[in-house]
Formats: sequence, C-alpha cells, structure tokens
Amino acid sequence: MSILEVSHIEKHFGATKVLNDISFSLEKGQALSIIGSSGSGKTTLLRCLNFLETPDGGTISINNNVIFDAADPSTQQEKEIRSKRLHFGLVFQNFNLFPQYTALQNVTLARELLAKERGSESKADIEAAGRELLAQMGLADRANHYPHQLSGGQQQRVAIARALALHPDILCFDEPTSALDPELTGEVLRVIRNLAEQKTTMIIVTHEMAFARDVADQVIFMDGGLIVEQGDPHEVIDHPKEERTRQFLARYAEN
Amino acid sequence: MFWNITLTLLSGLCTTIKIFLLTLLFSLPLGLVIAFGSMSRLKPLRWLCNTVVWIIRGTPLMLQLIAFMYIPGIIGHNIWPSGDTGRMMATVVAFSINYACYFSVIYRGGIQGVPIGQREAGEVLGMTKRQIFFEITLLQMIKRIVPPMSNEIITLVKDTSLARVIAVYELTFTGYSYMKSSGLVWPLFYTGVFYLLFVGILTILFNYIERRLDYFR
Repeated sequence: MSILEVSHIEKHFGATKVLNDISFSLEKGQALSIIGSSGSGKTTLLRCLNFLETPDGGTISINNNVIFDAADPSTQQEKEIRSKRLHFGLVFQNFNLFPQYTALQNVTLARELLAKERGSESKADIEAAGRELLAQMGLADRANHYPHQLSGGQQQRVAIARALALHPDILCFDEPTSALDPELTGEVLRVIRNLAEQKTTMIIVTHEMAFARDVADQVIFMDGGLIVEQGDPHEVIDHPKEERTRQFLARYAEN
Repeated sequence: MFWNITLTLLSGLCTTIKIFLLTLLFSLPLGLVIAFGSMSRLKPLRWLCNTVVWIIRGTPLMLQLIAFMYIPGIIGHNIWPSGDTGRMMATVVAFSINYACYFSVIYRGGIQGVPIGQREAGEVLGMTKRQIFFEITLLQMIKRIVPPMSNEIITLVKDTSLARVIAVYELTFTGYSYMKSSGLVWPLFYTGVFYLLFVGILTILFNYIERRLDYFR
C-alpha cells in the first residue's frame, strides 16, 4: 500500500502552467528522486506537498486519506493545514535555520511549541531527542553553536535533524546540496544515504544524478511542468526511453 | 545661584522625561499595530494606515500638538482636563501618534527584511502565524531596527521641547525662562548639557542592546 498518492496536481502562476497533471505514488520506506532542469516544476511540486503553495487542481492522499483536494475547500482550512503539513518534513536549499537559536534549539523549537499546546512531552525528553538527532548527523559537538558558526554542510545537517524532529511520514529535500561548496556536498549526501538505508520515506529533488540513481528506488524526470518519464532509477537515468530525458541527461553529462 | 538653576532645570527635565517615557510606552506598541495594518491583506485597512502615516509624517509635529490641544475645545467638546494635566495628556497623545507612525515604517522595514524562508521554515514545522512572529521573526526584526530606532528615539528626546508651544514647562522652556528673567546666557548652554547627558545615556543603552544581539547574524 502506498503511503503517498498524488493525483492530477495542477498549478498555475498567472497564465503559466507550472505543474501539469502530476501523478505518482510512493511506498513507505522508499526514496523518490525528482530530476529535471531549473524551471521544470520540481520545487513547486515539493512546495505543494508542504502546503507552501496551493495546487489549482488534483488531490494528495496519505495512507488513503485525502488530505488535500483542490475541488473541496474544506480540505484547505488554515487550522487543519497546520496538522496536515506535519505529515511532511522539508529541507530547504538554503537551510533556513533560525539564526538566533543554537543548532539544538533549531531542532527542538517546533516540538517544544507543539508539546506546550498538547502537554505531551517534557522539555528534557525533547532536548534528549534533539541531541540524539544531532549525534546521528555527526554534530554532537555542535549542539550549542549558532548557525553562523557552522559550515554550510553542517547547517544543512542541522536542518535535516530539525525536519526529522517532528517525525514526518515523508521527508522532502529541495536540492539539499545546491547551495553548498562542492567539497561540502559529500557530508550531506552521506547523511541522506544513511536515512535511505534506514528506510526513511523520502522525496529528493536533486541535480546529483549519480546520487539519485544510487539512493532512489524510483526516479521522476520532469520537464515543463510535466512528468516525462518515471520508473526504476537505472532505467530512467542509464537507459532513458524519452527523447527529452536523453537530451537532459546528455546536457548534464557535458557539464 | 548655580544650585538654584540646577533645581529649576531638573524640574523641567522631569517633565521632559515624562513626555519621553509616556510617548515610548504608547507609541512603540501602537507603531507595531499600524505596521501590521499597513501590511494587511485587507485593502481598506492598508489604505487607512498608509493615509494616517502620510498625514502625520507630512505635517509638523508642532501643528499636530496645537491641533490636539485646542481643536476639541474650539469645536465645543474639550476632552482634556484643565491645567497642567490636560496639557500633558494632549502632548503625550500627539507625540504618541506622531512617533507611532514613524516607528511603524521602521517596523515594517524590519519585518519585511527578514527572509521569507524563515517564515516558510516555521510554517513547514507546523507553527502558527503567532508563533512564527514571536519565536522567529520578532528578534530578527529587533536586531535589524535597533540603529534606525535609536535615531528616532534620540530625535524624540529633543522633540519634547516642542511641547512648550502649548505651555508645557519642559526643559527647554525652563532654560529659556531663566535666561529671559536673569539676562544670563550660560543657563541656556547648561540646558544643552542636560540633553547631551540624556542622549549620552541612551547611546550607551543602544550600544548595549546592539552588542547583546551580536550573537547571531
């Protein structure tokens, strides 16, 4: 049974159609990579899943529950969106860590605010869990550093820990290494690879082709807001069927 | 005589400090309300706030002081108590509204200067709008607005001297009266020293706040 079911998602910005009839599904414990050139709609798709953009058409279901239906405004109420978006975690291209909080506070803040509302967990428990997550990211000794005292790669790993702290069903990455110096991408990719090995359900928008092929169970190639090709990563990346996929990969290989 | 003058000026300084503190007390939060209004999704509210800011920033504070003080009486319904209290109240109301408008523009700049990714990161983590403002945006905004706010607040110290047009006996008024009655020049310079000390203390305070917020970028 698939954990995520996306059907016929449409999104316009003015007259421009950025997402056109996007449908795919994702199994629990699987990783999905989305590849494609800039402007192909990859990031917008992730933003739709995280309710940062509202699709103009289509539905999104989690565990067979429709959590978003463009035709049904009752699924789009502010109050519910808040809890629905917790199904997803999002790691941004530019990290977006909160500069006034330490690495540990960045990881624990949202969970502490939730616990305050629900009265569920103690602060000490949340903090212990936060330290544990940072240790998992190889950042145990950086817990009390502020973002500006960390390298880009370290900041991105804190951001991953922050997203994991709320136990999302699906963790989304929006070009997690694109803002990093080349020598720092390895440490972030390694962390994502570990998560894949632990069967974290993930959607990864990336320009790292080799990484996409190795880590993902499924690859989607997008162009002009459409899914051009999807399937097994070795098939799509090594033996693409579509002309447009071939052109993209050829262009990519040149660089 | 020096001692006498000092005492008189100190009583003027008391009034000046009172106007200063009361104005800050009301204008700092009111400015935030106007700032939110001017960024609202509701067009009429945005329009109203922008118009008020335009009128208040577009006319002299002295004119506004006179207007707040005398217009209620002239149109037949004086809202101010008689005597010093009434004049003080009119002063504080005029100053608070005037400064709130200037502050609102600084606040807006501070809020809009916080990268949109900060808000989105909060949203994705399931925070409410309120939590995002108080836990994430506010401190980053404060850090950004300390330098322009310090400018504005230092200007306020000296603008309090305008209150003399509606006969509020603040520091400049007392210094000026002493000069007139005694025919001496130095009390006026002495008055200036009071302002310098006042602003000096504020400068130290603002530098302290800036240093305290230096731990993040």
